Amino acid sequence: GTQIRSCKDESFLPAMLLQSRIKATASKYGLEDCSPEVAAMISHATEERLKNLLEKLSVIAEHRLDVIKI
Amino acid sequence: NPSANNTDMRQQILTRKQLQELVKQVDPNEQLDEDVEDLLLSYADDFMQDLIEGACTLAAHRKSNAVECRDVQTHLERSSNTWLPGFGTDELRP
Repeated sequence: GTQIRSCKDESFLPAMLLQSRIKATASKYGLEDCSPEVAAMISHATEERLKNLLEKLSVIAEHRLDVIKI
Repeated sequence: NPSANNTDMRQQILTRKQLQELVKQVDPNEQLDEDVEDLLLSYADDFMQDLIEGACTLAAHRKSNAVECRDVQTHLERSSNTWLPGFGTDELRP
């Protein structure tokens, strides 16, 4: 039989809030419908962008030279 | 202009707690200053709003009445050279 080896996709951002933001924006453009997959995608993209940024910030913070004036 | 800036009217989607959890995933010993957290929260909000509006613009341009995954994918690819796999049509890519 088939065995699913992937883990369940969890949304980083609260799906309901994001969905209503998308719907509100979409209606401004005259669009009526949007799939829940769109919200999942935007959530993943935001998570990825933030993670990337945090990784860079973490390295930068470690290498920062603080000038201490006496 | 639909993309008029109305940051103050928007409800915040990403919470401080979620951001802190993400920070822990990246580096368990990392601590963010409160103003850095505020900055990142507002950046994340702007990022997602830009993404939503970009996708909506593309969908409207297609003369469609629905926003689809490929609109988000196209906007992401063109604006930040990012490709999210596993959504919509999984075309083979070079």
